[in-house]
Amino acid sequence: MDYLPTILGAAVLLPLISFVVIVLFGAAMRKAHVPTNYIATGAIVGSFVLSFTAMCIWLSVNGMPEVHEHHAEHAEPHGDSGDHDAEDHGADDHAADDHAANSTPGDGSQFISLQDETTGGSSENAHHGADALADDWYSISPPGMPTIGIGYYIDTLTVVMFVMVTFIASCIHFYAAGYMHEELHDVTDHEVTLADGKHLHRPGRFHRFFQYLSLFCFSMLGLVIAGNVLMVFVFWELVGVCSYFLIGFYIERKSASNAANKAFIMNRVGDFGMLIGLAAVWACFGTFAFGDMEVEHEGEHVTQAGLFSMVRSGPHHEIETTDDGLVEVGPAIAHAAAGQEENEQNDATNTEDGEAEDGEGESAVGAVIKEPSNFAYGLLIVAGLGIFCGCVGKSAQFPLQTWLPDAMEGPTPVSALVHSATMVAAGVYLVGRFYPMFTPEVLLIIAYVGGITLFMAATIAITATDIKRVLAYSTVSQLGYMMLALGIGGWVAGLFHLITHAFFKSLLFMCSGSVIHACHTNEMTEMGGLRKKMPWTAYTMLVGCLAIAGAGVPFVIGLSGYYSKDAIIAQAISFTNVNPAHKVLFFVAAGGAAITAFYMFRLWFMTFAGKPRDQHVFDHAHESPKVMYVPLVVLAVLAVCVGWSIPMGTSEATGAEQQLGVSALLETARPVGTVDGAGTGVDWEVVYPAEADSHAEEIHITATMVAFGTAVAGFLLAFVMYGLRRISADEVAKQFAPVHGFLRNKWYFDELYHILFFKPTHFVAKLVARFDRRAIDWVIDGTAKVARKVSDTGDAIIDKGLIDGLVNLMAGWIYSVASWFRNVQTGKLRQYVLFIVLGTVVLFVIIEYSSFLGSGH
Amino acid sequence: MGFHDQISSLVEDTQRSLAMFGPELTLCGTIVLLLLSRLILGDRLSSTLVAFAGTVVALIFALFSWNEIAGTSQEAFTGMLVVDTFTVFFRIFLMAFGVLFVIFTWRSGIPDKEDAADFYTLALGSLLGMCLMVSANHLLIVFLAVEMASVPSYVLAGILKGRRKSSEAALKFAVYGAGAAGIMLYGISLIAGIVGTVHLPSAGQSLANIMANDPSGGVLWVLGLGGLMIMVGLAFKLSAVPFHFWAPDVFEGAAAEIGGFLSVASKAAAIGLLVRMAVGFGYAEEPQHAEPVAQQAASQQALADQSPGTNAAAANPEDGVFVSTNSAQDGAQQPSDNEQENTSEQTPANDGAEDDGAAAEAPSEDAAHTADSLAPVRTYISYLVGLLAAITCTFGNMAAYGQTNIKRLLAYSTIAHAGYMMFAVAGALPLIGTSTSNAEYHIASLAFYVVTYLFMNLTAFAIVAFMRNRTGSEEISDYAGLIRTSPGLVVCFSIILMSLIGLPPLAGFAAKYVVFSTLAESGLMLLLMIGAINTVISLFYYLRVVKAMCLEEPAEGQQPVTFPIWKSVDGWFVLVLTLPVVVFGVFWGPLHDWALAACRDLLP
Repeated sequence: MDYLPTILGAAVLLPLISFVVIVLFGAAMRKAHVPTNYIATGAIVGSFVLSFTAMCIWLSVNGMPEVHEHHAEHAEPHGDSGDHDAEDHGADDHAADDHAANSTPGDGSQFISLQDETTGGSSENAHHGADALADDWYSISPPGMPTIGIGYYIDTLTVVMFVMVTFIASCIHFYAAGYMHEELHDVTDHEVTLADGKHLHRPGRFHRFFQYLSLFCFSMLGLVIAGNVLMVFVFWELVGVCSYFLIGFYIERKSASNAANKAFIMNRVGDFGMLIGLAAVWACFGTFAFGDMEVEHEGEHVTQAGLFSMVRSGPHHEIETTDDGLVEVGPAIAHAAAGQEENEQNDATNTEDGEAEDGEGESAVGAVIKEPSNFAYGLLIVAGLGIFCGCVGKSAQFPLQTWLPDAMEGPTPVSALVHSATMVAAGVYLVGRFYPMFTPEVLLIIAYVGGITLFMAATIAITATDIKRVLAYSTVSQLGYMMLALGIGGWVAGLFHLITHAFFKSLLFMCSGSVIHACHTNEMTEMGGLRKKMPWTAYTMLVGCLAIAGAGVPFVIGLSGYYSKDAIIAQAISFTNVNPAHKVLFFVAAGGAAITAFYMFRLWFMTFAGKPRDQHVFDHAHESPKVMYVPLVVLAVLAVCVGWSIPMGTSEATGAEQQLGVSALLETARPVGTVDGAGTGVDWEVVYPAEADSHAEEIHITATMVAFGTAVAGFLLAFVMYGLRRISADEVAKQFAPVHGFLRNKWYFDELYHILFFKPTHFVAKLVARFDRRAIDWVIDGTAKVARKVSDTGDAIIDKGLIDGLVNLMAGWIYSVASWFRNVQTGKLRQYVLFIVLGTVVLFVIIEYSSFLGSGH
Repeated sequence: MGFHDQISSLVEDTQRSLAMFGPELTLCGTIVLLLLSRLILGDRLSSTLVAFAGTVVALIFALFSWNEIAGTSQEAFTGMLVVDTFTVFFRIFLMAFGVLFVIFTWRSGIPDKEDAADFYTLALGSLLGMCLMVSANHLLIVFLAVEMASVPSYVLAGILKGRRKSSEAALKFAVYGAGAAGIMLYGISLIAGIVGTVHLPSAGQSLANIMANDPSGGVLWVLGLGGLMIMVGLAFKLSAVPFHFWAPDVFEGAAAEIGGFLSVASKAAAIGLLVRMAVGFGYAEEPQHAEPVAQQAASQQALADQSPGTNAAAANPEDGVFVSTNSAQDGAQQPSDNEQENTSEQTPANDGAEDDGAAAEAPSEDAAHTADSLAPVRTYISYLVGLLAAITCTFGNMAAYGQTNIKRLLAYSTIAHAGYMMFAVAGALPLIGTSTSNAEYHIASLAFYVVTYLFMNLTAFAIVAFMRNRTGSEEISDYAGLIRTSPGLVVCFSIILMSLIGLPPLAGFAAKYVVFSTLAESGLMLLLMIGAINTVISLFYYLRVVKAMCLEEPAEGQQPVTFPIWKSVDGWFVLVLTLPVVVFGVFWGPLHDWALAACRDLLP
């Protein structure tokens, strides 16, 4: 267990080493014809091996996840008592029930829980998240300020994410070696036409591609392991900049550089909100750390409470409010409040898990711990919403969703890795990680944002004809699914879907890349019948489509998407049963499932089935090389079975049934205070049922039927329209021309933003620039030489733009003042000596007048 | 005490003191050797080699004395000097600088064969003076040490024979230095006249008594003026505005090597001395109680004559409480003291002072009280230093703005950095009143700054000197396009410049960060803001050099020189000096801890 942070830390650093090596020697290696991808691939495979080792260690130390018969013990008393169908008062009853049920000690055993050996197998730990390892590798503790560090927070979620990210990244590294092989030599970019009518001819950028990929892997893994919000933010920006580099990989193409800029700027909008959230967190708690950490404080070792323990201060780890509506914050120093047993337990766990203290912490002054005071509930909402803003940007949620489809300008392996499986899912991951900090109000907003995104993106995907854009909108839509799941209290459901989606969506992207590689076009209207030419691609992609549609034999077995989508829909039913006012969320989830099945099979049929639409393209198509389709097969196998739970017999210690599967693993990482649901809204009326309620027989059956029914409906429609071509798609489009146009134009979001933000900004900028020029002209009239110099500098530069102008204006002023200062430096010795005396006298006068002498005593 | 006893005690004291004087003695020996070797051996023994060996031995002596001194504060030469970890820290610093400087000048070849002996004699002599500056414990030694450090540097500034600018710089430097020294001496005489002693710790105690006795406005005026005048002398060494006028001319006129010497060693010694003076006047070690003014002079006389001895520091820096032997008796006296009734620190703890249980408590109250009478002094010094620092910083950065000559730019940059260092003094001083350990912690941030500053500035000047040897020019425009031909050098120089700005993750950031945290800790928010704004301003002109190197095209028909970083000793010298800038930017804990250890005995 002690080695775990080191192992995972090494897994983070390997890609960084690869990045550095390629940066330093990439150009030389290109000249020597040494393929750079060996380094990058070696690094990421190494990371994968380390991550996998870490998971094995984690499982061997903590034991296999155990399944407890939750239906019988917990869910039934109120899950099936009919309260769910009741109106508002029923909801209240439910909450009360929940409370009553949970106030009995030991009640927590109804869920899958980790058997934590370090604390004697008390299942309480799973609920506190106390089995997480948290500490700092490096920290600075400035005097009088709380510590800021580079640390880690490792729980099952971290470990699972590590394995997922490194595995998919490894597959994509292999794949990219085939996909990007053109870049090994000089490349003629046919999409860029130079002024003289020729196409751009440039040296290949093979090494640069892998260099960015390595940097990305490092940043992504750093983001996953981050032990505090600030570190998350740093890596957040790092993945952002990698995404920027990779989208703009074909920088000479106007569309690529535009898309890169768009992605970068839209993400900054989200990050602005995130910064506000960070500020609110800092103001409220005085720490950024997620977990409890052992630090030295006033000469003794104490456990400093992390954000989670502080905000979840209630006896059942709920967010507690005082009578006057303030949030009650737990003590910053955990063992200072001896009354709280769970804190002591944290302490005990941490003492054993605690890493060696870092050097800074040992300095004589020690870490300063700010004891936070209670603060307004609204501030916690602001913090949650702020952090969520960042997630909206990164995960391309409404209203910042427009950058992701444009990001498809990047090479396809990038789309598969960065823009479907990992980086864009980081927003969802952060919502999951930060979950205990979200109030029910914030969660509801998350749910609605997710729902809107899910629906909107799915509808746009119906009309898109660019194969990668269909997948991009599908990604946005699925991310919306995850957000929705998290927002309605389905923590495991959402993150489970994150993992399964990563596998099948990266598979789908890589298949589409294989198609593009073969056809040299993205347009599905030029494809068709390709399954004969490229069977490997076609059938692995079919697996991907089935997985995303959630295909399976109901109640028996299914592809990975079947399990995760079921879980989300079950949670939606469970949630809307308690909160009938939010029924729409269920319909969005169910409708989204149908649309997903429709557009995915539309894509498959258009590409691979029927007759070729463009004979020329068809003739030139060919199956991709082995290095590309072998990863497809590997991913296809995983897309089928990653959702399965494998029974592992019964535990020797407790006699409980053990399971190995992603959802069971995630259940052990459940954040503090969400076992009994995420709470009850203070400002708004919303009640969160326990996620376990959705496992109740009744809900489960309904959910499976809904999911299956919608998927089949979507599939059948696609089959009829595009497989059999019985209904002409063009005819339908004509019939619903306004709707079709609306969808084809992506709900007019780009146009809307153009009118809403771009134009007014331009207008205001021009206006201000004009005003400035006038104002400064006026100043020029009446000023002497120095001012003229200033305005000359300023005037010339305002033309370049307002921002530039302002900065330069400042610079100009300083320059003038500085030049004036320079004149004092005459070089005349006589004056210098005079200045000594003058300086002394002037200083004396200043000090005398500032009354330091007269009233000194 | 008989005459014989006095003589024997003096002899004993001298022997004891000489043992602690290893590095300085080595320097003296090296100087003698340098002069003799040229007389006797002529060219057969390289002066550079002698100087190198001498500085290395001195460095070893300095390093070895660390453990001997640790935890104690000893006076040497009848109280003229004080040797504590702070002294040793700066000795190590200066000697290490000496070693690097000798290597640097050997590579850049500024002293030709004929001059080498003179050059190193002067440089080592100046270093000796700087060692005395940081261990000064006596106002006269303060003056002597400053002069001892300055006079050789006047000559060094003019060492480039036959260059008009160099000679002019030397003359300006000398005259300006003389003027500043005169004012400083005047200030010392004013202060000494009021406090009645020139022994620094005694002067502090005496000052505490004077302040506790509600001095008249006139006395305060003279004290203030005296302090200001001493500050002028130090400000001259620090090249603080408005006493900086010599700096740009000297830096431009003298060789870059001398620029490095003056900006690093000289400035470090000056800041060390500033700390000594500020602490000496702002902090009185043993509580002294108000006596009738008539008796004061006598008692101070006694103090001044007191036989020098070892004051073992019985301090517990962890919690800022120190134990003094006569505390109970002091506590008993206190309530009867009318003049102190109205001071704020009068607490019931004093009444219980006779009680053994409360005895431990009483001294801290006492300390707080006596220190309190010096509080206005500290505020005054802090204000004065802070004011100078703010002006210096702002002016230095602004003036650097329009420079086209890289040496002149660096000259103003060093002025600005002197300002940042003085910020730390201004910030740490007021903290003495609340917690001495906290104040020590923050003085340590200054020591830390000085060390990182060595690497940044010496490397910058080294690059300038090496470039001068290759291009014969020191204009920024001649650095244009350097990235094409010498990428390694450009990377190193860029790192140095970014570190000078204070960008993370470089040492300059760490240094600036600890200094600014000092300001934040003592609540000097205005200074903090000035410092922050200045950092932004400095960004422009440092990056201008980077821009010239990386983005600008060289002038028509000119080919930038090649300076391969791997293939020459010069390159390696630059590389090895750049490395700590990066390393200390990330792992500054150990260095900071060392600086902290150096300052632990400063406020016993």
